[in-house]
Amino acid sequence: MEKLTCAVIGGGAVAERVHLPALARCAGIEATMIVDASEARARQMADRFAIGRIATDYHDAIGRVDAAIIGLPHQLHAPVAADLLKAGIPVLVEKPMALTPEQCDVMIDAAAQSGAVLAVGLLRRCSPSLRWVKSALDAGVLGRLLSFDLAEGAIYRWPVASPSMFRREGGGVLSDAGAHVLDLVLWWFGDHRSLVYRDDAMGGVEADCLLELEMASGVSGRVELSRTRDMRNSCIITGERGTIEVGTKTDSVVTVTWKDGIALGGRGASGDRPSPTTLIDLFEPQLRQFIHAIRFGEAPIVSGAEARRSIALLSACYRARQPWVHPWDAGIAPEMPTVLEVAQ
Amino acid sequence: MTNELRGARVLVTGATGFIGGRLVERLVREQGAAVRALVRNFANAPRIARFAIEMMAGDLLSPDVLDRAVDGCDVVFHCAYGAMGTDAERRVVNVQGTERVLAAALAHRCRRVVHVSTMSVYGDPASGDIDETAPRRYTGSAYGDSKIDGENLALGYCDQGLSVAVVQPTIVYGPWALTWTIKPLQQLQTGRVILVNDGSGTCNPVYIDDVVSAMIEAARSPEAHKQAFLISGDQPVTWREFFERYQRMLPGSATVSMTPDEAAAHFATFEPKGFLSESARVLKREVRKREALIRERLVPTRSGRLALEVAEQLSLLPRAGEAAAHVDEPPIHPLAPSKVPMFAAQARFRSEKAARLLGYRPAFDLDRGMAMTEQWARWANAI
Repeated sequence: MEKLTCAVIGGGAVAERVHLPALARCAGIEATMIVDASEARARQMADRFAIGRIATDYHDAIGRVDAAIIGLPHQLHAPVAADLLKAGIPVLVEKPMALTPEQCDVMIDAAAQSGAVLAVGLLRRCSPSLRWVKSALDAGVLGRLLSFDLAEGAIYRWPVASPSMFRREGGGVLSDAGAHVLDLVLWWFGDHRSLVYRDDAMGGVEADCLLELEMASGVSGRVELSRTRDMRNSCIITGERGTIEVGTKTDSVVTVTWKDGIALGGRGASGDRPSPTTLIDLFEPQLRQFIHAIRFGEAPIVSGAEARRSIALLSACYRARQPWVHPWDAGIAPEMPTVLEVAQ
Repeated sequence: MTNELRGARVLVTGATGFIGGRLVERLVREQGAAVRALVRNFANAPRIARFAIEMMAGDLLSPDVLDRAVDGCDVVFHCAYGAMGTDAERRVVNVQGTERVLAAALAHRCRRVVHVSTMSVYGDPASGDIDETAPRRYTGSAYGDSKIDGENLALGYCDQGLSVAVVQPTIVYGPWALTWTIKPLQQLQTGRVILVNDGSGTCNPVYIDDVVSAMIEAARSPEAHKQAFLISGDQPVTWREFFERYQRMLPGSATVSMTPDEAAAHFATFEPKGFLSESARVLKREVRKREALIRERLVPTRSGRLALEVAEQLSLLPRAGEAAAHVDEPPIHPLAPSKVPMFAAQARFRSEKAARLLGYRPAFDLDRGMAMTEQWARWANAI
């Protein structure tokens, strides 16, 4: 069977570190085109990964490739993906799928119209440990679930080349790490019933946020995300019979502790495959499943409709936003306003 | 007439750093200034990205960047300094970088430049009350010496028509303070901290918000033109008192008293002795950390027993009978000899000039500042 040809749309850090190396590993697909607004950047990536064609306009991919992977600034995901899907090109779009549920709908509709596959890159769904937790919860291992407490964050180190990462729409920690984390929460615990959301943005984008959730199932939970602090990076799930703590990042450890104090820890494993240790390892199964979806009509690991759920929750958080102000923020003037209005 | 900052266009260099970051926050929230931040590395920008400010990519040494950065600005706060690299690289940032900021501010007719200097320009005086009339003294420290040169350049530009004020903060602590909050907390959690002469030297702490308040006044006040201002806190304390505040946040943490000579001798045992011996030291440390596991795994096999013997011969592991001897006290963090004079000194840095000309009054005594710092440190998972 001939390899699928693939355009990588967006030549930024995620393409360089994840998409292009993963494509190079997969036998059934080949990167034949790189698209970036900067021709120099596109050429640099093309030279480095031996890609035959470069372009500065994603429309050039239409009619030239069998599939596309999109890793662009988040606000561009929806318009670019919708255009490609309408043209019948299957799309694997990085998280967050889009900025609003309405944008997700445009993408889902475009895929439905043309019949092209729409898959969303939420690579934690491929982590064996996180999948083990999903099946353990579904199997009722902890009995009735009571609560969860998820804390994730680290002092920011992602190599950001420009301030566009921090643009007002979708540039905060909730849109970024939250896209993964909220997807996990909804995957594990079902839809939410109510929420209280606070963050520290004051005219810009949030670096820290705190979300308290009541789920429709009756489970209550807390999600704390940070770009400024090293957090424990785990979710502690408490049920009637005990707790599960699982690292929420790559290659995570699961610890199950029964109520009598006996604990067991380890990593999830899937068959005879080695445990994923890098982002490329986690992206690869999504890419393989994307190929299967294109060739055989199988469902992608995360479909557009499934990814839309976390975007809807994310939007609900921003709509319900309350300021998160700490005592040390107030400084010398406890009444210091959140932000003064200034004529720019 | 004061230089009003409300609505003023303000450039902050070093805006992603500890002092610059808090300054940006207060300029936006409290002063209503329109802030432009010059950002060298956007990975450090999440804190300031919380505000509706303009972030411009570039560093002090990139050609043409400062011209664009200063363009249209009324006030410049120059907080950036050479924090990384070799002594020569740091010096280039502190001297040539500062000169570029000043030249651009002069060319664009900025109303005021506030240059952030340091108490270190006085060269660790051993005793006495130190004010801005004290001589600047070169000590051989890349940081302190280049800051003297930067400060001289800054005040020298006043003769060309630029209005410059210099602030010289002392020991700045508080939320996000790497040197005087985060590092001491890390050190106390991972070992023992040396207190020179039992910590009897004088520490001149100042809470971050007091420094920022002084910087804002230095930008606003006409009196600040061509002046340098030492910015210290409410009262000096001993270094022991200062570190005890952190120890109270970390029950069980410990300090150890040493004379300057003892501290120097202790440091000498940590000096790098070339690649091989450094590697051996690291290997030894790592092997010893895993001693129990290694013994458990190696003892059952014949080749393992041989490997264990070799490890003992090379002193990577203590011989079987000696095993318990080294599992004892936490390590002592080495103290660089260049830091010892500051910890031994009894000098008190005075901020009367800032009080007189800027109306500077520290709002945070050590109790209040450390209480705030502790709340932050718990939230930040620093303790």
